[in-house]
Amino acid sequence: MTDQIETLAPRFFGQRVKRREDPRFLLGRAKYVDDIVRPGMLFASFVRSSEAHARVRGVDIADALALPGVVDVLTGEMIADTSHPIRSDSTMPTWQGTGFPALAIDKVRFVGEAVACVVAEDRYAVEDATEAVIPDLEPLTPVANMDQATAADAPLIHEDWEDNHFIKRHVETDGFDEALDAAPHRSSHRFVMARHTGMPLENRGCIAEWDSAKGELTLWTATQIPHLVRTGLADALQIPENRIRVIAPDVGGGFGIKGHLFPEELSCSIMAIRTGRPVKWIEDRREHIIACIHAREHTHEVEVGYDDDGTILALKAHLQVDCGAYSVYPWTSTMDTGMALGILPGPYRIRNYYVDAESVATNKAPLGPYRGVARPAACFTIERTMDAVAEQLGLDPTEIRRRNLVRSDEFPYTSVTGLQYDSGSFIEALDLAMEKAGYQQWRERQQAAREEGRYLGIGVTTYTEQTAHTTQEFKKRGIPMVFGYETSMLRMDPSGQVTVNTSIHSHGQGLETTLAQIAADQLGVSLEDVRISFGDTSEVAYGSGTFASRSAVLAGGATDLAAGEIRAKLARIAAHLLEAAPEDIEFSGGRAYVAGSPDQGYSLAEIARMTHHNPQHIPEDEAPILESTRTYDASPGNGTFTNAALLLLVEVDAETGFVHLLDLVCVEDCGRIINPLIVDGQIQGGIAQGIGSALLEELVYDEDGQPLVTTLVDYLMPGTTDMPENFEIHHLETPSPFTVQGIKGMGEGGAIGPGALVASAVDDAIRPLTSGRVTSLPITPEKVRTLIEQG
Amino acid sequence: MNRHTVSFTVNDQPHEVEVEPRRLLADVLRENLGLTGTHLGCEHGVCGACTVLVDGQPQRSCLLFAVQLDGAEIETVEGLAADEQGFHPLQTAFWEKHGLQCGFCTPGFLMSSKELLERNPDPSDDEIREGLAGNLCRCTGYVHIVDAVRSAAEAIREEQR
Repeated sequence: MTDQIETLAPRFFGQRVKRREDPRFLLGRAKYVDDIVRPGMLFASFVRSSEAHARVRGVDIADALALPGVVDVLTGEMIADTSHPIRSDSTMPTWQGTGFPALAIDKVRFVGEAVACVVAEDRYAVEDATEAVIPDLEPLTPVANMDQATAADAPLIHEDWEDNHFIKRHVETDGFDEALDAAPHRSSHRFVMARHTGMPLENRGCIAEWDSAKGELTLWTATQIPHLVRTGLADALQIPENRIRVIAPDVGGGFGIKGHLFPEELSCSIMAIRTGRPVKWIEDRREHIIACIHAREHTHEVEVGYDDDGTILALKAHLQVDCGAYSVYPWTSTMDTGMALGILPGPYRIRNYYVDAESVATNKAPLGPYRGVARPAACFTIERTMDAVAEQLGLDPTEIRRRNLVRSDEFPYTSVTGLQYDSGSFIEALDLAMEKAGYQQWRERQQAAREEGRYLGIGVTTYTEQTAHTTQEFKKRGIPMVFGYETSMLRMDPSGQVTVNTSIHSHGQGLETTLAQIAADQLGVSLEDVRISFGDTSEVAYGSGTFASRSAVLAGGATDLAAGEIRAKLARIAAHLLEAAPEDIEFSGGRAYVAGSPDQGYSLAEIARMTHHNPQHIPEDEAPILESTRTYDASPGNGTFTNAALLLLVEVDAETGFVHLLDLVCVEDCGRIINPLIVDGQIQGGIAQGIGSALLEELVYDEDGQPLVTTLVDYLMPGTTDMPENFEIHHLETPSPFTVQGIKGMGEGGAIGPGALVASAVDDAIRPLTSGRVTSLPITPEKVRTLIEQG
Repeated sequence: MNRHTVSFTVNDQPHEVEVEPRRLLADVLRENLGLTGTHLGCEHGVCGACTVLVDGQPQRSCLLFAVQLDGAEIETVEGLAADEQGFHPLQTAFWEKHGLQCGFCTPGFLMSSKELLERNPDPSDDEIREGLAGNLCRCTGYVHIVDAVRSAAEAIREEQR
């Protein structure tokens, strides 16, 4: 594959090209869903449950209906017979499934669950009317956490279930017990990651519009997965997919959170059909915090066996994930446990592994994917374990890792859970990070600071990031939809301009630029000659969308293949016109010409025009069309693995417990880089989110399942002053041997390491003050103070 | 509900609107005037996405009622430039330094940065971070935003030299 473009010039691949999509955002002219206005549009708002667990006895809508401007009010009971709940079921053993109704019917199962939908002439009127709807809820005993959910006498959240588990899984290697028993040293640990979430700056929102003449529904919605939303809507509403058009316009951040079909999208669609008018819903931040997808609530118990050198001999783990009340579409509630179970051994040579993993249901908002999906928790656990073993053996934390990391000569390496790590630079990345940081100088700074009574600490983290996993991997996970491929449809029009219609969606990742770089290189045209189009299901071929660090690899691969096909056809036509051989035709500067004779050729605009308008000049066996549609699934399909090593220097204020981030060095290897500017931006943004997970972010519930965090005053996200004072990124480029162009995904990576990294650094800082260690995130000043007070 | 007539300028254009007392400035800008470059991220004054300049000062348009603004001069992101060729140095710098990803917070950052550089034409990195502490970005990690503001400050100083 790679040799196809080696001869082309200019090469955009690998260049720091500034983003082609930026001007519309910088001018304030982007179109997010709330910027779209439809004629006669109504506004929707949701009445939400104030109870974590209750029986719905009725909903009084009479007062609301009588208010000025109110057009319609809908309850669960009214649509119970006509609309199917959203369902996403695993095919794996022990699975117990749920339907997630558009509006609660018999029971509510979390605070914030939608009970009724009101539509009115404007947003102010609909907010007034929402307060006038009175749900009659009979409280039931809430199941607010995993301890309550798994207790012997726990109330059932779903009454047709046997217990409060979505799924229980177990994996064990042969001879595990013997391997653990034979280990000279063993230690046990418990690690907790708090529930938090992606919190994109744009809340959710949609506009549903029903064309009663044609029987067609259009839904503009802030989503990462327009086609999957279309499929889910079709199933729930029993409308054929060719009568539904989903348009994802500009989307203000997703991070996995907007990769779902939501009940609100169903309700707005039903309301548009009932009223015959477009219905817009824009979520407010409080709704987003209590009623949207949450993430990452993991508790991990591990026992590790190791030898005198620190070689890990066996790892036993019990993983529990609080998945909230409902299975989410299309992922199911197996995603976090499955990913944690598969990736927990991380970049280390661990060959004896035993794991129990449970997805537990509680009366809380549903848990779904957020950047990294379980990898931040898995990384936290394995890295904290590495730090603990190092400390017990008196080894430097970088040394224990070097002794256990998969070496470069071992790739492709099949992990104990069957993941094939295609290529990587695990040890080289660590070495480079230490060199760039000046690790020894950091140790000297730490020593000097201690002598002044200041507490500096050094943290280290290494990880591998499974990216762009396709058919083989998702098939294994027992998800009903196997996200196996993406599609690009590339067309050169008679003017010689190129349009790439692609099934992914770009909402910050810069794919309008990187995909154009790939297409422009194949065809020897300028970036300005390439338009990237996505998000509208009526325009682009079917595909899954953007998640799991897959779009550059899969849509990039599909675009490269489709552009290559068009290039080959242009070469055949040019060769015919120039009486040359197709293999002698070269492309650059928007022209096709005979190699070595740039004057002897045609502009692509001339060839395109001739192809479409004067087909008598092209070879008889060529169709007069310049179009190619290619799918790409990045075989062998269990993903391509990016890796990174991070070092961090912090100072802990022993009096306040405040953690100050001084220097951060990241060495990342994501294979061949399409655009270093964009890759750096993704790493920085991911690390910033990870710093939020490490130090700030937590969705707190009380013992009754009431959310205590409901605004951004309570939910702290990193701001400009929370970032490290110095932040360096360095790259290694180990191509994937499998993917088109050797590209690996990298969108999620930054968010994986910081929890483990900051914990490692804080422990190192406060070691002189306490024997306690950080075992849970976020590391609030209060937790640091508690550790210090314990001594 | 009773309505009030309010007059102000937005990006130097005079406007007169008739509004309920509870109508937010952000809704007037976005819905009455069609200036949708100003975005709403939290509607409780934390995220800074809706920042506009009112008489030269950065303000959260989600926390102001339109009736408070009679006679005010308001600047929004749409006032920075009509097109790419006329970009304000901040817009050029955010583009070149990759200071935006999803773009939702960007108008707020541009308006806060504009006021920051008018007040302090040669800020240190710490002063830039401090000056933008009232704006949240969930995508970039701020590194490129700080780079962009530093670079824009240099460009503006160069222009004025």
